[in-house]
This record gives sequence, structure tokens and C-alpha cells, in this order.
Amino acid sequence: MLVDLPGGWNPLLGRLAWSQIPYDNPILAPLFVAVVLGGIAIVALITYYGKWGYLWKEWLTTVDHKKLGVMYIIIGLVMLFRGFVDGLMIRTQQAWAVGPDSSGVFGALHGYLTPFHYGQVYSAHGLIMILLAATPLLVGFMNIIVPIQIGARDMAYPYLNALGLWITAAGAALIMASLFVGNFAHNGWFGYAPIFEIQYSPGVGVDYWMWTLQLLALGTTLGGINLLVTIIKMRAPGMTWFRLPIFVWASLSANIIALTSFPALQVALGLVAADRYLGAHFFTAGLGGNLMLYTNLFWIWGHPEVYFVILPAFGMMSEIFPVFSEKPLFGYITMVLASFAIAGVSWLVWLHHFFTMGAGPDVNSFFSVATMLVGIPTGVKVFNWAFTMYRGRLTFTAAMLWAIGALFLLLIGGLTGMMLAIPAINYMVHNSVFVIAHFHSMLLVIVYAVFGSVIFWFPKVFGFKLDEFWAKTMFWLFTTGTVLVFVPMYMLGFMGMTRRLDYVFNVHWQPYLLVMEGGIVVYTLSVFAFFVLLYVSIRDRVKNRVGADAWGTSRSLEWLTHSPVPFYNFAVTPHVNARDEAAWRRANGIAGVQPAKYVDIHMPNNTAVALYIGALTFVLGFALTWRIWWLCLASLVAIIVLMIVRSYRGDPGYIVTAAELERMEREAIARERQIDGSAGEPVVGGAPAVGRPAMAYERSDLPTTSTPPSMGPGARH
Amino acid sequence: MSQAQHGHHGGHGHADPILHPEVQMSSGRGYFSGFLISTLLMLIATFLVSSHAAPPFGLLLVITVCAGIATIAQIYFLLHIDISEHNIWNTVSLVAFIPLFVLTIGLTWWMFSQLYLRTMPPMPGMHG
Amino acid sequence: MSGHASNTPDPKTAVLWDTEYHGHDVISTRSLGFFLYLLSDGMIFATLFAAYGVLSYQHSYFGGPTPADFVKPWYTFSQTIALFLSVLAYGMGMTALKRRSRGGLINGLLGAFVLGVLFLVLDIHDVLDLAAHGITVAASGGISAFIVLTQVHAAHIFFGLLWILVMIYQVLRLGFTADTVGRLLSLRMFWHFQAVVWVFVYIFVYLWGYMS
Repeated sequence: MLVDLPGGWNPLLGRLAWSQIPYDNPILAPLFVAVVLGGIAIVALITYYGKWGYLWKEWLTTVDHKKLGVMYIIIGLVMLFRGFVDGLMIRTQQAWAVGPDSSGVFGALHGYLTPFHYGQVYSAHGLIMILLAATPLLVGFMNIIVPIQIGARDMAYPYLNALGLWITAAGAALIMASLFVGNFAHNGWFGYAPIFEIQYSPGVGVDYWMWTLQLLALGTTLGGINLLVTIIKMRAPGMTWFRLPIFVWASLSANIIALTSFPALQVALGLVAADRYLGAHFFTAGLGGNLMLYTNLFWIWGHPEVYFVILPAFGMMSEIFPVFSEKPLFGYITMVLASFAIAGVSWLVWLHHFFTMGAGPDVNSFFSVATMLVGIPTGVKVFNWAFTMYRGRLTFTAAMLWAIGALFLLLIGGLTGMMLAIPAINYMVHNSVFVIAHFHSMLLVIVYAVFGSVIFWFPKVFGFKLDEFWAKTMFWLFTTGTVLVFVPMYMLGFMGMTRRLDYVFNVHWQPYLLVMEGGIVVYTLSVFAFFVLLYVSIRDRVKNRVGADAWGTSRSLEWLTHSPVPFYNFAVTPHVNARDEAAWRRANGIAGVQPAKYVDIHMPNNTAVALYIGALTFVLGFALTWRIWWLCLASLVAIIVLMIVRSYRGDPGYIVTAAELERMEREAIARERQIDGSAGEPVVGGAPAVGRPAMAYERSDLPTTSTPPSMGPGARH
Repeated sequence: MSQAQHGHHGGHGHADPILHPEVQMSSGRGYFSGFLISTLLMLIATFLVSSHAAPPFGLLLVITVCAGIATIAQIYFLLHIDISEHNIWNTVSLVAFIPLFVLTIGLTWWMFSQLYLRTMPPMPGMHG
Repeated sequence: MSGHASNTPDPKTAVLWDTEYHGHDVISTRSLGFFLYLLSDGMIFATLFAAYGVLSYQHSYFGGPTPADFVKPWYTFSQTIALFLSVLAYGMGMTALKRRSRGGLINGLLGAFVLGVLFLVLDIHDVLDLAAHGITVAASGGISAFIVLTQVHAAHIFFGLLWILVMIYQVLRLGFTADTVGRLLSLRMFWHFQAVVWVFVYIFVYLWGYMS
């Protein structure tokens, strides 16, 4: 052993021992029982309905970007729920343990969580929410939507796509394992030196944290490469750069950030691993280690990362606003430029996360000004969304409500961000809950955009709409919860409450904390509303079926596919003629025109290798955490062997013949005609569309608006 | 735009892979030039450093220039970074990344040299 | 290059579906993705260099040995020669591929392999020698940075060598398919990239360390 390990270690099991399982923890022990029972119930149900074959063939071995995207979103939603429960636990502890007279249960002096456990709860909460909830949700959407928005049949690397998903799943499994075997880290979600050194964190918690992050970093990097190459190389003919849907531009700029910044995270954590496993002195207190170096390296990743998650959310908002304003996006080109400006500037600002660490006024000033510069392109976006809505015909569907809510949260979060950018203010509120409220406002922009997108694109992926009433109920409950939790939090931040307190010493803060606890209760109600939404929507799915253009006012290319999207996306590659192709075709009455003939297409095969490698990365992460060296080596070798075998065998793919395509297409068109009766005749040429309500910009009885740019001089008004 | 490239190759490997421009752009002369330039520059740098031919700061400048020229030669000859149609995206990506390398190293260096100025006692032999 | 919306074709005659579109070029799609991965790898090295820069100040060595004490420039120069020759050998292999010479390609790959192994042997010998003198990562922050940065590069060489072996096997068994040729191109980029990184490691870690 290269480091002195407290606690035992044996060659077979590493640091793993029965004592690492928390039998006597009053929260975890019942939870474990519940999880096991739930797991058994799920396995039993699948077996009873005989669905193992279906699961294996359609989901576990798929390389279809749509299914992989759905699985990413499922992981994201499940982990969002787990992260939410962590948040609930934090709120409850803080509402309870206020003042020296507050009671304590379960071995805690105050409240119900000991500091040791509370530290793990907020560390897990942060890590899960950012990297296992927000990121997979966004990556899932990018996976589903980008290929169909550019007219491609799949991503550039379908197998790599599957690999990225299963590695992400492995990361999720690893952090879930930390609940029941060993502990999690207590150094916050981003870690501090030297508390994560072996001397101060002798347990496995920090190791779980490190390897989970490494797995997620790997998965995201692979996904980033995939998306970038897809957008560069696989656009349909006629899809020039300035006809790209705005969500694709957002994905492009976001993944440039991902590709450039995740390596810094891998190095930062790798060096922590060197300290903990090899006895190095990168970040130790003493022997030449540098504590601030860790913070620096981490935030070189950490800041671009938050822009990596917000840019797709902005892209989603940019897709939703035009559809429900019945107007094209205002200022398309400035939106694109703003996205790249944000991506570029995001690389210049990372020190604002540690203004107080001592770099001095010159350095602080540079980073402060750079941080404030980011507000300019963001402001451009806010104004463009507002101008998109201005004089449009607004429909306040649930998706639109979520998007508008996101816009308001962006205003609050963005403005408080500008405040935090000023070192003089930052020194006052650094590490207070003001910072927490700020970044939660920003992260809620993402959550709102994601929920809006779920409602917006659900009909495209699954073929039926979600129930509007329950979607709106969920929105209002969620928003009420947001206000109740975060407005008091801003106030508490100004009053000086620091973050991560497991015991709140100032009883004057209790009223605010109780209001926040009420907010969490309202959030919980919104979660119930979500489950009701799913139940009701699935129950009423036949009633809510939709055709290709689910909302009637959709604009971009993906709305030309059938709903649900067939596995081949487009039977024949579309030729793109305008920005907002679907809107252009609909306005010119050619939305229903089908291809005159079909040709054979080439699709990739399913593969189990991605699943196996993903599972092996979980084993590797687990073995590294528990220092089971033989298992580390074995799983690493197995991964390499599988990669080599897979590369040798390759994938010739399979052909879908033109005849099969034509048959599937005829069925889909017949189904659509049955649903909304507006599918065009299946011939090529200028067959006129069946009548449909005029768009806002086409009606002569309304006050004139500016001519939408997608309507060129040749188009009908 | 994407269908304009490699039109005569088609997709799915129907064409002969050897005829692909990325294979055809290999050049023995290019590889040898890259090798020669970088090796000679490393030789010069090693010779100057091991014989302590100049004071440290000037020496650092010289070997940095050696590294810079060697890198440019290798990037051009070995990595085929140019503005031809089939290399353009590689070039664009590299050009996008280089400022980030500079920023990561440069801003970190600035940050810590300022930090050390403010927090460390003055020490002889401290690097610039 | 950019299609402005005012170039929208006449809807009555516009092409709506393209049956002639044959999709993306498999080889260049693979190469671009791999090059992007290499750039992210470059970012790993840039971050390691940033860490090394911070930890190369006098106080990071905690009074212990510094690179000026143990770096042997001419020894490391021999590593440089080995690596650059290996890169050249691979390049020659690729020109043989251009001429459809399977034998030439295999020879190039074997040459690259042998010279790469030589590089690694020299490197490992150096590290073991340092360890024997107590110069390990546990000695100080500065030494940690020195060793980790140089050995991360060596680890890349190790995996590259493994890949070269796999490619020799694949070319012998599968011949020149789009996939094997595509992989050879990726490996060429990888291998040549290691030479570029080595220039920085050699100049700024070994030589500069020796000077300080």
C-alpha cells in the first residue's frame, strides 16, 4: 500500500467489510429494505408480463438516439427525485435545529441528522442535481432532438452514444451504492483541500465522490464529441448553418464548452486520487502541496460546466416561445452570436468562485469584469425572447408557462449573479445562502426549461400529449414552492446566514426557515401532481393522440416526422429549404407532401457491448473506491478486451428495404389522417394542403407585424 | 454543405478507403521534415541547457522559441493542420482550443504568482 | 456558405425529399471525432501543465530534491530520439498504406512499436532509478507534479502501443477496410499528437526543471 489506510484492508475485499453497511442507521436501514422490496417488485412485474425480451431488445441494447435520450431523461428524473429528497432533508434539518433549545433525535444533538450525515446529504444533493439530474436531462433532450432537427437518421456514433448512456448509468449506480455500502463524501459537492485528503477523510466517501464524477465526466465528454460531429457532418441537404434550428446552435455551443472543460475536472479529480491513492502531495497541507490549486483546477471546469447546462436550456426556451407566440424567433442571428459569446466568455470567469481566496485585487478585477460581460449576451437573449412574444398570438399552454417562468427566474438569477460578480459584494455574501439562492435560481431556469420541453416534445416522442390541466397544476405548485423556498433564502443570505449549516444558531431566522419548509411541502405536492399527470396522460393517451405537427403552430424540422418518431426518423432524407422548415412548408401548403419514391436505408444494429462496458465501469469505480486491486485490474482488462473485440467485429448494420419503408410510412400516414385529417396526398409536387386556421402573421385583420424572416419573397402571405 | 464533400466517395464504404483524401495526404517528405525540424530543435535546446550557455531567463526564452517552432512544424507536417477542405474542421477545432490552453495555463500562472507575492515570504530563486 | 432565408426556393418547385443523399463519409466522420477527442486530451495536458506551473516554485519542493538535482538532459534526449523516430516510423507506415503496401504498413507499425517500447523502457528505468533514491510522489508537491505529468504522457504511449499491436492484428486479418483504415488514421493522429505533447513535456518539465 502506498498510503497509510486507517481501517482494515485485505487483498480479496480491499476496504470492504460488513461493518461498512449501516445496519443501525434509522433512516438508511428502512430505506434499504424499501429499495430491495421495490426492486423485487419491479423484477416480478417484468417477469409476470414476460417483458424481459422486449426490454433487452428495445431498450438495453439499443443504439437508437431517441431511446437512449429517453433513458437519459429517465435517469435524470429519477435522480432529480433523489436529489429533491436530499434537499427536503436539508430543509427539514435546518427548520428543526434552530437555537440551543431545539430537540435532537437519532443521535443528533439538534434536529435529526448528525453533522457527519448532514455533510453527506448536502454533498450528494449538489452532485446529484447538477451532474446526475440536470446534465442527463439536457443530454437526453439533445440526443433525441438534435438528429431529427437536422434531418439525420441517427447520431454520428450510435454505439458511442449507447456507451455514454451506460457509463452515466454506472455513475448513478455508484452514487446510489454509496447510500448503502460505506459513506459518501462530506466535503461539499465540489470539494475542498485538504478536507478530502486521506488524513481528514479516511473513509471511502471521497473516493465514491471522485469516481462517480470521473465516470460522469467520461460519459459527458463522449456525448459531447458525438453531438459536435453530428451537427458538423450530418446535416440534411439544404440545412445550411443559418437554417439550423436554434436548439441545435445551443447544443453546439454547449458541447464545445463540455469538450473543452471536462478534461480539467478529470485532472483535478485525478490529482486528488494521486494524493489519496499514491500519497502524492498536490493538495496536502504541507510538504509542498497547494490548497488553492485544487479550487483553481476544479473551477476551470466548474464555471464552463454551468454554462454547459444553461445553454441548452436557453435553446429549449428559444424553441418554445416562437411556437406558442406563432411568430418566428426574434433576432435569430443575434441569438446564435449570443450563445457563442456566452460560451467564449464563460471560459474567462472561473475565479469568481473564489474571489476571497487571496489572488489579489488585480486578478479579482479582471475576473469580475469578465463575469459582468456575460450579462450582455444573456441580456440580448432575454430581450429577444420578449420581442418574440411581443405582438404574437400567445397561447398559454403548460409548456409556455414553464418557459415564461424560466424567463423570470433568469432575470432574478442573472441579476443576483451580477451582484455576486462584484468582489466588494462577494466578500460580504461569499459562502452565505445568498449564493445558494442565486445558483438555485439559475438551476431552476434549467428545471423549468426541461419541464417545459418535456411537455413540448412529449407528443413528438410518444405520440400523445400530456394532460394540460395536471401539467398546469404541477407548474403552479412548483412555482409556489420556488417562491416560498428561495425568496426567504435571499433574505437570509443578506442577514448573514452561511451555507451548509447543520445547526442554525440564530433563532430569529426560524420564521424564514419555517416558510422555506412550507415551500418544500408545496414542492412535494408538485411531485405528486407530476405522478398524477403521468397516470392521467397515459390513461387518456388515445384521446390525446397527435399527428406530425402536434401543436399546430410548430416551426422546426422535427415536426415533419411522424409522432411517435419511427426508428428511422425520416423515411427519405428531407431537403431543407428554409429556416423553420416545418412552418415554411405548412405556410405554403406543402406540409403533407410525401416522397414520391423510397430507397433502401442502412441502420446500425443493436449491441450489448455498450451495456457490458457500462456495467464494467461501475465495477471499476466500485473496486477503485474500495481499493480491491485485483478487481480494478480485472475490470479494466475486461473493458479493454471488450473494446478490442467490438472493434474487430465492427457493425455492418442492416438494410431496411424501400418496400418495408413504404409500408411503414403508409401505416403512419393513415394513422395521422385518422387523427387530424390534415395529412396531404402521398404524391410529390404542389398538392395543396387541407384548410387550416391562418397564422397570426398571415391574417389581414390584425395589426401588422414585421415580416417574419422565414417567409421569403417567394412565399405566400 | 455536407453532401458537397467527398461526393465521389459516397457513404458506407462503397468507395476504396485508400483513395480517401486523409490517406492520400500522407507524405514521406512531410513526415521526415517534421521529424528533422523537431529533433534538431530539441538537440539545440538540450545542448544549450546542459552547457548552461546563457543566464536562466534568456535560456528559457530560447528554449521556448525552440518548442514553439518545433510544435508548429509538427502541427503542420505531422498533424496535417492546414486549410484544405478535408482538414478544415480539424484546423478550426485546434484554433478554438489553443486560446483555452493559453488561458488555462496563463491565467493560473498569473493568479498564483499574485497569490505568492501577497502571501509567501520573499524567497531567493523563485521562478518568474 | 450561409443560406440566408431570402434565398428560399419557390415552394411549387422546391425539392422536399432527397433520395440521392448518400449520407456522411464514414472515414472523415471518424477522424473528426477522434481529433476532437485528442484536443480534449490536450486540455488534460494543459491543465496538468497549469498544476505543474503552480507547483514548480521553490517552496513546493519542501526543501527536498528538485528537478535540477536529478534531471539528466542527455538521457531524456535519448527518449526524445526514440519517440520521434517512432513517430517517423508510423508516418512511413502510412505512406506505405497510400501505396497499398501491406508489408510496408506492417513494417512501419512494427518500427513504431519497437521504438515506442524503447521510449517506455528508458522512461520506466528513469522512474525506478528516482524511486530508489527516494524521489517519489510522496516526497513533495513539486515532485508529485513532475512525476505525474511525465508519467501521464508515458501512460498515453503505453496505451498507444497496445493500440498499435491491435492494429497490426486487424490489418493482417481484415485487410484495408473503411474501418481499419479509419482506425489507422486515428492512430496516426494520436501518435503524432504524443510527439507534440512530448515537446512541451521535454522543454518545460525536463529542461526547464534542470535549469532552475
